[in-house]
Formats: sequence, structure tokens, C-alpha cells
Amino acid sequence: MVGRQGRVTGKIGPGLVGEVMVPIRGGVEAFYAYPSLPDEEIPVGSIVVVVEYSPPRTVYVARAVV
Amino acid sequence: MSPEILVVGGVAVVALIVLILLFKAIWRVAEPNEALIISGLGAHTKNELADSLGFKIVTGKGTAVLPGFQTARRLRLDSRATNLQVNCVTQQGIPVQVRGVIIYKVGDDFTSIANAARRFLDQQDSMNGAIHELFTGHLRSIIGNLTVEDLILNRERLTSETRSSAADEMSKLGLVVDSLQIQEIEDETGYITNLGKPHAAKIAAAARIAEAQRDQEATEAEQVAAAKKASAIRESQIQQAGYQAEVDQAAAKARQAGPLSEATARQEVVVQETRAAELEAQLAEQRLQSQVRKPADAKAYETVTLSQAERDARIAQAEAEARETELRAAAQASQVKQAAAADAESVRVRGEAAAAATKATGLGEAEAAKARGLAEAEAAKAKGLAEAEAAKAKGLAEADAIRARSEALRENQEAVIAQQLAENWPQIVEAGSKAFGNVDHMVVLNGAQGIEEMLAKALTLGGTGLGLARSLLAGGAPAEKDGASVNGAEPPATRNAIDTTS
Repeated sequence: MVGRQGRVTGKIGPGLVGEVMVPIRGGVEAFYAYPSLPDEEIPVGSIVVVVEYSPPRTVYVARAVV
Repeated sequence: MSPEILVVGGVAVVALIVLILLFKAIWRVAEPNEALIISGLGAHTKNELADSLGFKIVTGKGTAVLPGFQTARRLRLDSRATNLQVNCVTQQGIPVQVRGVIIYKVGDDFTSIANAARRFLDQQDSMNGAIHELFTGHLRSIIGNLTVEDLILNRERLTSETRSSAADEMSKLGLVVDSLQIQEIEDETGYITNLGKPHAAKIAAAARIAEAQRDQEATEAEQVAAAKKASAIRESQIQQAGYQAEVDQAAAKARQAGPLSEATARQEVVVQETRAAELEAQLAEQRLQSQVRKPADAKAYETVTLSQAERDARIAQAEAEARETELRAAAQASQVKQAAAADAESVRVRGEAAAAATKATGLGEAEAAKARGLAEAEAAKAKGLAEAEAAKAKGLAEADAIRARSEALRENQEAVIAQQLAENWPQIVEAGSKAFGNVDHMVVLNGAQGIEEMLAKALTLGGTGLGLARSLLAGGAPAEKDGASVNGAEPPATRNAIDTTS
């Protein structure tokens, strides 16, 4: 899970619960996303990298350097 | 076929059937939409979550389940839908009744499956009720954070609020919310209706304006068409009326033709009768003319002619008599004059002789002078007497002549004036041309005709002709008056008169 790239589908930011779509297990699943750096805002459509996975469905993400 | 073989075959078949049945009893396959939860003897998953997990989760493959030692339960991973109906209040404090649907499923990861299995394995059918109860509360908080406009328009806000309010609890239950849809919002206050009213009114106004404009254009076009129609009808009616009038006129003419022809005939008759009457009147008039007027005219003419001849004769006679008197007087005057001259001469001679005698006799010169003076005085006296005589005679003659002329003028003025004008024409022209005598330099624009006109104007403008005539009427030409003071000079007018009359 960690290291996978995903696409932001719900805005990630402080005080918000974001959403990222991450390809996993042959499909694409939605995970609740929080920024790995506090106070970082990641708009919808950005590519992010999962840096931390918190089961069952929460990930911490950082902006991917595309 | 030996019986042994049959037995062996039967046994084999039975064994095969038994084998198949056993396999079917032992082997379980998890379909893609379900997870097998196997618990019991040796049911341990070999993953990092296995320490707390007292069962094995199998997804997407088959596994052997030992009957009696293990149990296999299926957890459906299908998505499920539950309907929600909530009376709640929006952020603006507007009460709304929201009906929605929530689509959720059990998460695909083993953690979620484990959580869900522990909670819902035996009550999968009652999962909807639990979720309904759960989300009824969550929806209140979700909608309480939204405005009505967000609720209607802003899906991003809705899903975001859904996640932030329900994410942790759904994770606890091992469920994933795929979608939350608001299907219907019932608004008791009419907020939503009023929200749309400005736009609706705007659109309605635009529609009404457009309709009114089109209606106006259509009406204008219709009115123009109607006006044109009316104009065409008017023109056609005017034309028809005109033609009708012509027809009526023709009919009236036709109707009047009979009486008119009769009247014309009558008129002809009357005209002819009138003509006949006129002719009769003319005949009567002619008769009168020939019988009464013509003789009377002839008589009058005769009388006039006779009287004119008589008058002319009388005038001629008077003139001849005047002339005769004049001549006689002149002759007498000259005779007297000659006699006086002879007397004077004889007296002078005699005086001179006496003077010579006196002188000779030696009388003083005074005597002689006296005698001469006396003689001269005598002579002068005699001469004066003679001249007085002559003048008297001439005056008498002239008076006679004037009297005769005035009588003649009384008889026939015009003839005399014409005659006198003719006689005095040279003086008249001379008097007229005096007008040009004062002009130094004259330019005539239209040639000989111009000169004629100038002369004629001068003659008439000078008024000399008329003046001369008047003066002649008054008693002879001015030349005659001048000539009266000249002794023995005869006036040219009288000379001319002699020429014309003789």
C-alpha cells in the first residue's frame, strides 16, 4: 500500500477528510486521505503518493513529483 | 460380462460418486462478491493481522473446509442500498425534509472484512436498518453544515461532509460508503421555490416581452395588411361607383334621348319660326327704309347740300368784298400819299423859290429860314395829315375785313381753320423746328423713323399748331399783328389767302 500512487478525488487539507483513489487488489478503491505534512492542501486531481497506511481505509499522502 | 467385472465397475462408480460427494462436502469456493469466513481447526490467516484474527478470510479462491472441524460462512461483499428520510435543518435554519439513498459495501481489505464479519455475519439482512439508523443521525449533521443551495448544487461539499462525519464510524463497521445521493428535498417554507422565482420571473418577463413584441409586430403587419385591403376595397368601390355613374348617366341619356330629340325638334321649329319672324321684321324694316327713311335722307341731304353751297357762296362773296374794300382803301391811301407828296414838293419848291427871292431881295436869313421852317412845317403837317388819312382808311378796311372774316367763321369754323392752318404751315413748321434749334448735339437711335417721330413730337409738343390755330381764330397770325405796325406792308397770310381764293 505504501509507495503506491493515487489520484485525489476529494480535496485534502487541514480540517477536511480527503479522498484518494488508489489502484489495489486488481481494482481501484477509495481511501480516506490526510496530508502527511500538516496544513498542506492538495486539490482534486493531483497525483499523490501514499506515505502511510492506517488500516482499514485511511492513508496519509504527499504530493507526487510527477 | 462377468459378474466380478460388474461388481468392480459398480464399486468403482460408487467410489467415484462418494469421492465427488466428499469433495463437494469439503471444498468451498469464494465467489468474487463474497468472502469466506472460515473458523475452527487450523483456520489461521498467515498475514500480519492474524494475531488478533481467530478465523481465516478467503476471497476469490477455493479452500477445503473440514466438515465438523471447521465452519465456513459467506459474507457478501455486494454493494447495498438503503433509503433515508430525515427531517432536518440546514445551515440557514430552514427546516427541510430530505430523502436520500446511501450505497455502501463491506470493504475489500481483510481488515474491513474482519470488522464487518464480527459485526454483521449473522445479521446481514438487518445491516440496512443499522446503516439507516446510523446515517439518519449523520445526515442531520451533514445537512446542518450545508446551505440549501449547496444541498442542491454542490456535490463536492456533500461528499466531503459525508466523509468527514461518517468516515470513522464506517471504518469501525468495516463498511465503505460508495455514494450518498440526495433524492428529494421537501421544503415547507417555500425557500427553494422562492429561490427559483427571480429567474423564473426574469425568464417569464423575457418571454412576455418577446411575445408582446412579436404580437406587436404581427398586429402591425396585420393592420398594414388590413389598411392595404381597405385601400384596395376603397379604390375598387370608387371605380365601381364611377363606372356605375357612367352607366347611370348613359341610361339617363338614353332615357332622355326621346324627350331631348322632341325638344330639339321643337327647338328647330321655334328657331325656324323665329327666323321667319325676323325675316318678316326685316322686310317691314326694309319697306320702311325704302318708303320713308330713304326719301327723308335724300331730302335732308339735299337741304344740307344746298345750305352748305349757299354758305360757301356767302363766305366767298364776303371775302371778295372784304378784299375789294381792302384794295380800294390801299389804292386810295397811295393816291392820297402821292397827292400829299406832290403838295409837299410844290410847297418846298415854292418855299425855296420864295427863300431864294427873299435872299435875293436881301431880306435877312432869318426870313428865309423862317420861310423854310414854315414850309417844312407845312410839308410835315400835310404829310402827317396824309398819313393819318391813309391809316384811317387802312384801319377801316381792316375792320371791314375782320368783320367779314368773323361772319364767315361763324358760318363755317372748321373750313376756315383748316384753310388758315394750310396757309400758315411754313410758320408752324418753323415754330416746331425751333425746339431743335436749342439742341447742340443729338444722337438718334432708330434712324430716319426716329427723326420723323422726333419731329412729329416736337410739332405736337410745342403745341404750336393748336396755338397757332387758336391765335388765328382769335384774329389772324402773329405775323399779321407785327405787319400791322409796318406801314403799307401786306401780311403774308392775306397774300396766301388771295392766292387760294383767286
